Amino acid sequence: MEEKYFEISSENLKKFVDGMITDNYEVIAPTDKDGDTFYGKISRFEEANLDILLPKMSYKEYLLPKTETIFEYSISGVDTDIKDGLQSIAGANEKRVIFGGRPCDAGAGPIMEKVFNWDYKDEFFNERFKNLTIISIACEKPDNYCFCTEMQLSPESSYGSDVLLKKSGDKYFAIVTGEKGLNLIKKYSDLFTETTKDKVPADKDWKKIFEIEKTKSFLDKNFEHNYFQERFLSCIGCGVCTYTCPTCHCFDIQDEGNLKEGRRIRNWDSCQFGIFTLHTSGHNPRVTQGDRYRQRLMHKFKIYSEKFDKYLCVGCGRCSRNCPEDIDIKEVAKNLAEMA
Amino acid sequence: MENIYLPKLAEIKEIIQETADTKTIRLTIDGKSIDFLPGQFGEFSLIGEGESTFGFSSSPLRKEYFEFSFRTSGRATTGINGLNEGDKIAFRGPYGNYFDTSKMHGKDIVFVGGGIGMAPVKSIMEYCLDERDKYGKITILYGARTVGDLLYKNIFDEWKNHKDTEFVVTVDPGGETPDWKGKVGFVPTILEQLPLKGENSIAVVCGPPIMIKFALKTLEEKMGFSKENIITTLENRMKCGLGKCGRCNVGSVYVCKDGPVFTAKELESLPNDF
Repeated sequence: MEEKYFEISSENLKKFVDGMITDNYEVIAPTDKDGDTFYGKISRFEEANLDILLPKMSYKEYLLPKTETIFEYSISGVDTDIKDGLQSIAGANEKRVIFGGRPCDAGAGPIMEKVFNWDYKDEFFNERFKNLTIISIACEKPDNYCFCTEMQLSPESSYGSDVLLKKSGDKYFAIVTGEKGLNLIKKYSDLFTETTKDKVPADKDWKKIFEIEKTKSFLDKNFEHNYFQERFLSCIGCGVCTYTCPTCHCFDIQDEGNLKEGRRIRNWDSCQFGIFTLHTSGHNPRVTQGDRYRQRLMHKFKIYSEKFDKYLCVGCGRCSRNCPEDIDIKEVAKNLAEMA
Repeated sequence: MENIYLPKLAEIKEIIQETADTKTIRLTIDGKSIDFLPGQFGEFSLIGEGESTFGFSSSPLRKEYFEFSFRTSGRATTGINGLNEGDKIAFRGPYGNYFDTSKMHGKDIVFVGGGIGMAPVKSIMEYCLDERDKYGKITILYGARTVGDLLYKNIFDEWKNHKDTEFVVTVDPGGETPDWKGKVGFVPTILEQLPLKGENSIAVVCGPPIMIKFALKTLEEKMGFSKENIITTLENRMKCGLGKCGRCNVGSVYVCKDGPVFTAKELESLPNDF
């Protein structure tokens, strides 16, 4: 489908969101909780915090939950009964709308979709991803940790959004990228006015402070460079960078329960933990925190792009904002680009 | 929708206690083996105790069962260790690439296995022995720390009784017993004493990283094997086996999908991340 363009007033935007909630959509939006802002279910438009640049966490968990049940089991005598967890998530996210997220978070879905579909298809991810409707709002003022423009997106990118809203005075322009967004808007067509592309304000000329291709070309040649060991001596290996990251998708598989009943689950994991790659023999390919942070950089800026033609980073800067040691990945990527 | 993480239930046909802490388990699904190739691996589990990754240790040509060997070391293997014949093991696989035997036809082959690394060697080796006429001279070198650590002792005779096949077994210095009749010495040291030439030959080497390192050096520098003709496997920690969970990569190579079988030439181009 070609992009379509609509206008909606601020007043009607509120009616649109409240209308969806009335119609039993589960609307997930940035919302204040415990003195911070997270994506969460809202019960009316006012609960959405659209002023915040980025919620603390991304909405990754709606595509890749922190814990996913692969199957449930019950064993009695010689009989093992296995209940496929995939069946119970069929139709997940069908009435779920992410409202008011940012273009960086929206970009993560189609990037992660690649690893979950090369050769073997991960239908847990696919089922959630295909059903989720994403209505993002373009950013007007990125902060110093943001670097989506360097990561081939921009504060106004519609990549990964079903609908991108761009604020203009007291109204919004809605860029609709596909059928999923259009079908939703059509249900509330009296609130929207169709318009043409030329009426939508042009994107600003967002400037880059480094070229990610140069970061990659440094990583291509400098696996053994001292930089990694020295720069990441300060890393305490807490893994918050990976947990708050919209694109980090590494996971662990564990059994939870006993020998009679329980479930096999897939949990978020982190390449920043020593046990992540520890062999049974005691050998560990990645011994130092420098080795582990290097892996994170390699995965994001080299390995993933070689395999899937996309960098595994949307430049949201959460890993930097949340880092207890103030390791700023934008600065790191820039340093590497400068050394290339 | 297919759940790629969902295991099948395999039945334990036979358990062989190899050493004090290692066993070989022979399995069937629907009363027979599964289709796999030597070098491939699977995810095995006692449901409730978690999955472990093991390479197959049997020849795929033996259709009545498929087998793996394991050492009891953690929660998952302790669970499997407690099972009896007739019990069920959950299985996913086969995954990964394999030893390409078509490139070995007509050539001399040396198989070098160290410790539990003999398990994947056994699969490709027995595959070759099952079709003995397709290959030239076969040399088997197997080493373990001590006599008590040697796996597959009950089938040593079966291996060495093939025509034009030499079987050499060794234990590390200090690991021998008074009645030990095999060699005493580290695998790379014993390897060096064997009359092998790299010409028209293939070497298959699996074992601990330190053994592989020195065995490769001997094969290349002393015997003239080319890097393309030395084949080994990487044994990185895995969870999914499907190229998604993100932990087995060495540089841009995913061991679970691009491996686990690599030539020494391929290893040379990888970063020191394994």
